[in-house]
Amino acid sequence: MNATTTQPHSASPSSTFATAPPMIKLTDIEKVYQTKTIETVALNRVNLSINKGEFVSVMGPSGCGKSTLLSIIGLLDEPTGGLLELDGRPVKSYSDKELAHLRNQKIGFVFQSYHLINDLSVLDNVELPLLYRAGVGGKERRQRAHAALDKVGLSARTTHFPSQLSGGQRQRVAIARALAGRPEIILADEPTGNLDSVMGEEIMDLLLTLNREEGTTIVMVTHDEHQALKTERLIRFFDGSQVQ
Amino acid sequence: MIRHLFTLIWNRKRSNLLLIVEIVLSFFVLFVVSSLLVYNVYNYRQPMGFDYQNVWEINLNPGADTTAYNQKLQLTMQRLKATKGVIGVTKTSSNTPFSFSTMNGAYSYKGKQMPYNDNFDADDDFRDVMKLKVVEGRWFDHRDAASTRTPIVINTALKNAAFPNEKAVGQIFTDEKGEKEWQVVGVIAGYRAASDFTEDAPLSFRRRALDYDMTKKASSYELPVLLLRVQPGSGAMLEKQLIKEISNVTKGWSVTVNSLEQNRVAKLKFVLTPLIVLGLVCGFLILNVALGLFGVLWYNINQRKAEIGLRRALGATGAGIGGQFLGEMLVVTTLGVVLGLGLAMQFPLLGVFGVASGVYLQAMLLATLIIFALTAICAWQPSRIAAGIQPAVSLREE
Repeated sequence: MNATTTQPHSASPSSTFATAPPMIKLTDIEKVYQTKTIETVALNRVNLSINKGEFVSVMGPSGCGKSTLLSIIGLLDEPTGGLLELDGRPVKSYSDKELAHLRNQKIGFVFQSYHLINDLSVLDNVELPLLYRAGVGGKERRQRAHAALDKVGLSARTTHFPSQLSGGQRQRVAIARALAGRPEIILADEPTGNLDSVMGEEIMDLLLTLNREEGTTIVMVTHDEHQALKTERLIRFFDGSQVQ
Repeated sequence: MIRHLFTLIWNRKRSNLLLIVEIVLSFFVLFVVSSLLVYNVYNYRQPMGFDYQNVWEINLNPGADTTAYNQKLQLTMQRLKATKGVIGVTKTSSNTPFSFSTMNGAYSYKGKQMPYNDNFDADDDFRDVMKLKVVEGRWFDHRDAASTRTPIVINTALKNAAFPNEKAVGQIFTDEKGEKEWQVVGVIAGYRAASDFTEDAPLSFRRRALDYDMTKKASSYELPVLLLRVQPGSGAMLEKQLIKEISNVTKGWSVTVNSLEQNRVAKLKFVLTPLIVLGLVCGFLILNVALGLFGVLWYNINQRKAEIGLRRALGATGAGIGGQFLGEMLVVTTLGVVLGLGLAMQFPLLGVFGVASGVYLQAMLLATLIIFALTAICAWQPSRIAAGIQPAVSLREE
C-alpha cells in the first residue's frame, strides 16, 4: 500500500536537500465521510513524503480520493486521522486564523474549473491572495500581480474579465494568481482537465518551468497519464489507498 | 479591502441595483414613518401652555328656552364662582381643550395674509382658570370693554409669523377686505389645546363679552362653554352641587359636566388609534423588507459558495469572509441610503407639509440608523453561514 513509483524526468533540486525534512509528510492519513446511513472512506491510512522542489503527480479513477488528498495537503479539509506535517511541523489543532495564514503564505492552488471570480478583472483576480496578506500595500500588490501575469504571458489582458478569455488563458490567470503569492507549494487539481491537448501542453509546460526554474514544489492531480509521466514522481490511488 | 469591496460592488452593479432600489424604498418608508414619529414625539414633549388638571367643562344647552339667555348665563357663572370648591369660572367657545371642535381663519397684516390660525373666544378670567403664561403685553381686562377694535391675544407662533422683528402689542390685524380690525393686546407662550400631539401652531384669543343673540336659532357649537378650575381632589359631591346650582337658575336646560382630564384621555385614544394602525402597517412593511433582504443575501451566499471556498483557499479566515459579506452589504446600504437621503432632503428644502426642518433632519438620522441596523441584522446570519462554509465543500460547488 505504501509503495511509490518515481519516474525521474530531470535532475530534481530536491536531491540537494536530501537530509532536510520533507516539505509535505503524511502519516497514516485517513478521511472518512459520515452521513446518517453511510460511511465512506475517502482516504485509508495514506503515508506519503514529498520533498522540497519535487513535482509529483497523483493519478487514479474518479472518486478514489485524489482531490481529498489535495484538500488535506492544502489545509482546506481536516483528516479524520493521521498526521500531516509541513516543513517538518505537524499541522494539528491549528486555529482557523493560523490555517488561513499558512494557506496564504505557503500554498498556491490551481483548479480544474479555474475558480476565477467572474466579476473581477484579470488583474484583480491575480491580486486576490495578496489581499489577505498583511503588510502588502496596493502598489506592491499591483506590481506582483503584473509580474505574475507577465510570467504566464498575459500581461496584455490585465483589464479583461474571465468571461472574455479562452479556457487556456483562464487557467494561466489561475496559475498567475497562485504565483502572485510566491508560494512554496502549488497544488493543482486537474489543471489541464478542461483544456484541449494544445492548451493542456501549454499549461503543463508552464508548471514544469515553474518547478525547474523556481524550485516550486508541485502536487498535481491528473487523469492524463501522458502529462503525469512528465513529472518526477507518479503516485497512483485506488479506493482511497495509495497502490503504486 | 475597502477598494476591493467597491470594485466588487461596482462590477456587480446590475445585481446590486435591485438591492439598492429596495433599500432606497425602505429608507423612504422609514423616513416617512420616522418623520411622523419625530413630529409627534417633539410635539408631545413641548409644554401644553395651560394646565388642564382640575378643570371641568360644563356644557349648557337651553334647548327651546331663549328667554334672557345672557342674564341667566351670567347669574349661573356668579353662582358657580361663589360655590365652595370652585376657584375660577370662565366662558369660552366650543373649541375647548381636547374637544373635536375647531374654529380658524386668517388675518391680514398690512395687506398681506397671515398663516391660518385657530381662533378661540375668551373672557377676562380665561387666563387665570387655564393658567396661561403671558409673555408680552397683558391678558384681557375691563379696559378692553371700551375698545373700538376687537382685542385679541395671540401666541408666540403667530407673533413670530406676523411680526418677527417688532413688538406685537398694539399691532392691528384686519380681515381680507380691511373692513374688520383686531388689535393685539398681549402675547401668550403657547396653547396646544387640540391634543398632546398638536403642533404649537399660530392662534388667537378674541375677547368676547356676554352678547349671545338667542333670538336666532343658535347651533350648539355657537353656545359658550364654561370652564371651572376646582380645588384639587374635587369629585362627585362638587359635581352634584354644581348641577344643583345651575338647575336653580336654568330650569329646563340640559347640563353635562366633564373634566378636561377625561376629555384628554378620550382625545388621546382618537389620535393614537390611526397612529398605532399606521405603525403596525409600517412595522409589517419593515418586516417584509427585512425578510426580502434576508432572502436576497441568503441566495447571494448560496450563489457564491465557490467564491467563498476560493477565498478561504487563498487565505481568508471564516471571520474575514463573514466580514466581507457584512461589509458588502453595508456599502450597498450606504449607496441606497445616500440616494434615499437625496430624496428625503427635498422635504425640508421644499418645506413639504410645513413641518420644521429639524423634524425632517432628525427623521433622516433615525431612518438611517434603523436601515443600517436592519441590514446589519439581516446580513449577520447569512454572513455567519458564509463564515462557516467549509472551503473544500464549497470549492466542489461549481
